[in-house]
Amino acid sequence: MNRNALWIWLPLGLGVVVMLLAPLALVSRPYIMHIAIVAYFYAILASSWALLAGYGGQFSFGHMAFMAIGAYTTGLFAKFVRLTTVPTGVCPEITVGSYTLFLLNPVTAGEPTCLDIAKATMPAGTLIYRPPIYVGILLGVLLGGVFGFLIGVLVLRLRQAYLALFTIGFSEILRVALNAEIAITDGPNGLELPPLFPKGVTIFGMYFDATSKIPPYYVMLFLFLGSMVFMHWLASSRYGLFFRSIREDEEAAAALGVNIVRYKVLLFVITSMIAAAAGAVEAHYIGVITPNILLILQMSLVIAMAVIGGMESLVGAAIGAILIEFALEFLRQNITIGPWTIDMTDWRLVFFGLLLMLTLRFQNNGLIYPIIQRLTRAGVTEEIAARRRLVPETVQEGEG
Amino acid sequence: MYLWLALLWIIGWGVVGAVLIPRVYARRDLDVSQAALAGAMVGAASGPFGLALLAYFTPRLDWKWVVVPGAATVAIFLTAFAATYPNNLCVSNSAFVLTQVVNGLVVGIIYGLMALGLTLIFSILGIVSFAHGEFYMLGGMFVYYLTQEWFPGLHPLAAVVVSAVLTFVIGALFEVLFLRPMNTGQVERPGEYAILVTFGLSFFLQYTTLALVGANPKKVPRYFDYPRLAIPGEEGSLLKVTPGTVRLFEEIVIPSPRVTAAVIALILLGLLMWFLYRTWIGKALRAVSQDRQAAAVTGINPNVMNTLAFGLGGMLAGLSGASLVQVFSWVPWVGTQAAARSFVIIVLGGMGSLPGAFVGGLIVGVVEALGAGCVPDPHRAAAYIPAYGMLILVLVLLLKPTGLFGREL
Repeated sequence: MNRNALWIWLPLGLGVVVMLLAPLALVSRPYIMHIAIVAYFYAILASSWALLAGYGGQFSFGHMAFMAIGAYTTGLFAKFVRLTTVPTGVCPEITVGSYTLFLLNPVTAGEPTCLDIAKATMPAGTLIYRPPIYVGILLGVLLGGVFGFLIGVLVLRLRQAYLALFTIGFSEILRVALNAEIAITDGPNGLELPPLFPKGVTIFGMYFDATSKIPPYYVMLFLFLGSMVFMHWLASSRYGLFFRSIREDEEAAAALGVNIVRYKVLLFVITSMIAAAAGAVEAHYIGVITPNILLILQMSLVIAMAVIGGMESLVGAAIGAILIEFALEFLRQNITIGPWTIDMTDWRLVFFGLLLMLTLRFQNNGLIYPIIQRLTRAGVTEEIAARRRLVPETVQEGEG
Repeated sequence: MYLWLALLWIIGWGVVGAVLIPRVYARRDLDVSQAALAGAMVGAASGPFGLALLAYFTPRLDWKWVVVPGAATVAIFLTAFAATYPNNLCVSNSAFVLTQVVNGLVVGIIYGLMALGLTLIFSILGIVSFAHGEFYMLGGMFVYYLTQEWFPGLHPLAAVVVSAVLTFVIGALFEVLFLRPMNTGQVERPGEYAILVTFGLSFFLQYTTLALVGANPKKVPRYFDYPRLAIPGEEGSLLKVTPGTVRLFEEIVIPSPRVTAAVIALILLGLLMWFLYRTWIGKALRAVSQDRQAAAVTGINPNVMNTLAFGLGGMLAGLSGASLVQVFSWVPWVGTQAAARSFVIIVLGGMGSLPGAFVGGLIVGVVEALGAGCVPDPHRAAAYIPAYGMLILVLVLLLKPTGLFGREL
């Protein structure tokens, strides 16, 4: 193993081991566990946005909308879909084998649902099930992909500012609709979701109840690691090359035979599905989801994380997101300097806004990515410089 | 019931037309630039019949093919609305409709002024400023702090002027510090950099304000108490003025702070037009917006014009905030919605088009007022207000990205 490869794999492996073993040290500190779970959530979002915007050049501001689609799909599925062994006769339903799948009707609080009405006539011994959580999550991911496909097709012609405006529009329409349709989504109060493992879970003979943070930690961690591996594979395969060629120059890429339409839409579908998966798991973990996750603030946080970490590096964006999430939580404490007390809940965001602008202006590659580059590419610059010296007649080309 | 059927018809056939007609035109090797829009409009208005005729004859599509079916679509929608809700105020009460329209126009003038700033920035720097709403918010905040906290008794108009100067300085400073590097080749991919850095500015300004002034709503009393007035007399007056309201033809009521704001906005529009079309600097600005290189050749420094344009754009947003702070209560995130509205307006009017921004402002003002007043189920109507504009934005971007008056892409 040569030196460079060692520098890549050693910190990465160490990081993964630390993340895997962290719960052992943090069992008694659920608050830290909570921050870690949320940090992985943001890391998934930031790195998938980095794939979309940094690699593909598609500056979508609708990433949180796909996340919300995943979260709300599984939430609504858990709220409205039930299985019984006997047809209800009053709810909209389909019968599959000996089971009946039916939808509850949206009602205002206190009124009986169609299930309550049907219960009166049901024979004794009828079983009513909630469908399993993972079905809802899978549905959320699928629907995220479907919406990603639609948006991807619709924005094919739009670039830069136009694309940004379109995706902001999409995200806002979704937020307003979720806010307004109170009968279905519970509006601004938020939709309540069952926990990831409603009956608890047993891992290696150890039982964890529904409120334990360890199972959600591992679910989110494996989702994070899995999506990172997948996205890294994608970015370093020829697809990644296609994405980058679209970013640099669409016409030139098309002229060289890259199927622009296919790869742009593919990029949207993949990143939306990843965002939707993160949203669905996070929503079940938190237990409630509100339309406010679609506020521009949330999107700007994800963007700030990706930019500060390094937009053109998936790992950089993910590390940036984890660091910033921890920093945001630990900066909550008020600071007292002499007679003044500074309320940090607002000032920490000011600080990150400033950091975002300064990073963009002076360190376009982000703050984490150059460190990774330094570690992994140490010596490469010298090598290139040495080669250049050997060929003094190189034609210098200006940047266009 | 009729309404939903009509909507289904409009949306369904509109989508079919928007998808099919460009393909037909492309297959026959004809101009497809207007095909999606005309197809959507003809489909929405006449359904399969019009679409079949259009696909068979493939006439040359000019503005008539958009305007006539567009008007027909609106007529179908309105008829269905009236048939579904015969008791709705908007159907049964013409004075109410007029009041809504006039109020919409009055507010629309100020929306237009704000969007004008955004479109000015776009036409000269070629970027969309995502921090536009924060300049609007700052304009109002400055007026509040100048007149209520720092110098009580300061005339509101003086405060408006000072806040204009301050927002101009902030905009110009930001341009010099963060946007100028785009033109000197220090930034890779300037278009994307501009989106992110103005976004960062928005984030920064909004949270700085929040941290400094807190989340409590600020309220500024109206700038002018109008004298009591009735023309020609108390009975059957054409125009009746009280300190708080202006009443036209006895029926159309406009709150007086809105009138004040609209008058300020109209004066500013006049000044801006004079500046852009009659002064050397204004002409230089327009020259840069038409052709950067050619303008530079004639001795105009494009970098200075960039700074000026961004400052002016921010100032226009600040001025609309400063004139509306007496109408609405002011919080640090008040700019978010105003910015979204400006995006809708400039996309509707055509990015970079000055008349487009003004007309778009009027349209959005009226649509919002009617939407808020007419949609049955008031809770839902209020909740959906921001979505109407966004729907316009999304549709325009899909069907005609150049908007009403925009240059061809």
